[in-house]
Amino acid sequence: MANGLAGTTLRINLNTGDIRRLPTDEVLYRRWHGGRGITAKILYDEVPRDADPLGPKNIFIVNAGIMSGCYIPAGSKVEFGSVSPLTNGPGDSNMGGHLGPTLKFAGYDLIIFEGVSPKPVYLFIDNETIELRDASGYWGLKSLDCEKKLKDDLGEDFEIATIGPAGENGILFSCITHDFGRQAGRTGQGAVMGSKKLKAIAVRGNKSIQVKDLDSLEKQVTGIILRTQKHPNMVPWQKYGTAFFIQWSNANAVIPAYNFQTTFYEDIDKIDGDQLVEKCLITDKACFGCWMNCGKYTKAVIPGKPEVHLEGPEYETGSLCGSNLGMKDINHVAYINWLLDNLGLDSMSGGGVIAFAMECFQRGLIKEQDLEGHTLKWGSVDDVEHFLDMVAHRRGVGDWFAGGTKRAAAKIGRGSEKFAMQVKGQEMSGYDGRWAPGMLLSYMTADIGAHHNRSWTITVDMAEGRERVEGRAKIVVYLQHIRPLFDTWCICRLFWGELDITPEEIVESLNHITGWGISVDQALRTSEMIWNLNRCHYMERNRDNGRAFDYPPARAWEDKIPSGPGKGKGLSLAQIDQMLDEYYAARGWDKKGNPTRELLQDLGIDYAADNLEKLGFLGEPIPGGIPPVRGEKYKPKAF
Amino acid sequence: MVIYLKAGGELRSKLQPDVDHFTRRVETEAGKPLSDILIGIGISPAFVAFAFKDGQLKRLDYTPSEGDIITLQPPVSGG
Repeated sequence: MANGLAGTTLRINLNTGDIRRLPTDEVLYRRWHGGRGITAKILYDEVPRDADPLGPKNIFIVNAGIMSGCYIPAGSKVEFGSVSPLTNGPGDSNMGGHLGPTLKFAGYDLIIFEGVSPKPVYLFIDNETIELRDASGYWGLKSLDCEKKLKDDLGEDFEIATIGPAGENGILFSCITHDFGRQAGRTGQGAVMGSKKLKAIAVRGNKSIQVKDLDSLEKQVTGIILRTQKHPNMVPWQKYGTAFFIQWSNANAVIPAYNFQTTFYEDIDKIDGDQLVEKCLITDKACFGCWMNCGKYTKAVIPGKPEVHLEGPEYETGSLCGSNLGMKDINHVAYINWLLDNLGLDSMSGGGVIAFAMECFQRGLIKEQDLEGHTLKWGSVDDVEHFLDMVAHRRGVGDWFAGGTKRAAAKIGRGSEKFAMQVKGQEMSGYDGRWAPGMLLSYMTADIGAHHNRSWTITVDMAEGRERVEGRAKIVVYLQHIRPLFDTWCICRLFWGELDITPEEIVESLNHITGWGISVDQALRTSEMIWNLNRCHYMERNRDNGRAFDYPPARAWEDKIPSGPGKGKGLSLAQIDQMLDEYYAARGWDKKGNPTRELLQDLGIDYAADNLEKLGFLGEPIPGGIPPVRGEKYKPKAF
Repeated sequence: MVIYLKAGGELRSKLQPDVDHFTRRVETEAGKPLSDILIGIGISPAFVAFAFKDGQLKRLDYTPSEGDIITLQPPVSGG
């Protein structure tokens, strides 16, 4: 068994029920580092380019990564991957909690599901025992209810991942839920599970993971824990999680309000981190191996509705389901968070979809008769509850919105495409990029569609000048290489910037675990390889020059911010094009946004160049050659 | 009046700690809001998400008292 790995990969054919146990491919892990790296490679190699993401030829990958479950701070992540039904490109999403480590403790690094089960099943793993079990008694249950029932039936020590009715019904922004509040939300991985009739995964394991140099790892990690316990950010993080950020985001004109119509929310005091702690908090919550416990287990109390318990809302859900929907009570934001969680919908895309529908209602593009007699007004939690039920069960116009904002806008038309706030079909995170150009570029170029986790630049935008776009591309490229490394290694990213744990320290831990002896620069190069493979995969499936996919909705350049501290600010289409030109140059892509053979050869993925060439989308050679380093480390200017 | 400001991450380098790894001793006039004190030592309040004192969140219009120990929290992205 290789160091850091559990040793076994499972290939499960859902058509036949056949379960194969294979030795985990150590060479593959060494080259692609696990997590989203291995996911990208397997998807590229195995999914036919014409495969329907919700059809039998798509595969569904569960990947516990190389560092998850080891003696590592926040080594808690598990990565899910498939061709995304939301973006029609390679998709991945991860979550914390305990599932990833437990999967490795049971002896498994990687699970690849193929085909479609003829009936609802769940995967049962109890160390050596692996079974596809009948899930007919669980099918139809909501996510949190299903997790509770599975724990009641199997035992509290099983770690469970489930989908809800939304995933069963193929809602394209469905999520996977675990630990009563951790979600792999992005790219519609829950819909792929549902399409395969896979309701849940239940795992129990008690084996150990071999590491290369346990003494050195223990010494290093103990030092990090002792050091960071004294870090000034620790206590605020423990108290507020990311919810504290709501006020700052509003004060600095990046918070989305009323479907990104503006970036200032007049009722922010009613939905901020203080309100969450004061009115909703039950207790703090931590993932496996984490000493920061930034998770907030909460309740939502609304007269006339049942008291519900959930985890969150953290910043993204708090903004996208708070100010972006015009909510004026933190209990309402938490209740919508719970609705989305229990239906099994991504609360980020979910917030974006609800907000888009609300703006359609505001503009008269959908009416009460389309909504079964209901309204869909800003700030109405009752309206949201009814609308979400229509979406999750594809009733009436709910079916239009079940495909996310891009598809809904295509159905509704009449100019609604302008304010469908997505890129590549995935809804934007909780930041408006009109006065944060690097953030907008991050959304535009993210390999899985708009998502802040790939690159987040807002303080950089502020330091470099919020109305300047020059130079932003190189910073975005650097961040797109370093931030996704955490998803590749299956560890939490939040402790990197927040507690001053450096990339060098994390790579040192990786080397203690694996014995690979790599440097940060080598890790960044692996990340660049993953990024480019995903780019090629996306282009091969969607058959156009890369640039065609990289534009935001027209609101980004047609509408200036109408209110608040950002009033009058905004970007022009020429500035957006300038950022794209600079970005492609920084990446070694041509002006059409296509990777070049020279670059793909340099990264050791020549086969992707061959495939792009056959389709006519290989980049033209760059005069003077590609940059020797793509994504140099960014050193922030003094604030 | 003397207060103590603490910061980690990118804010730490701007704060220029002089007491310990994270902490700077700041002499200031009584009655000044924290935002003005920050500007006075060369830190833009826009780069501070909030202040934290005695386990409680404080806005930047908070007026410190003698001997206050205040942590400055940098803005970060969501999870």
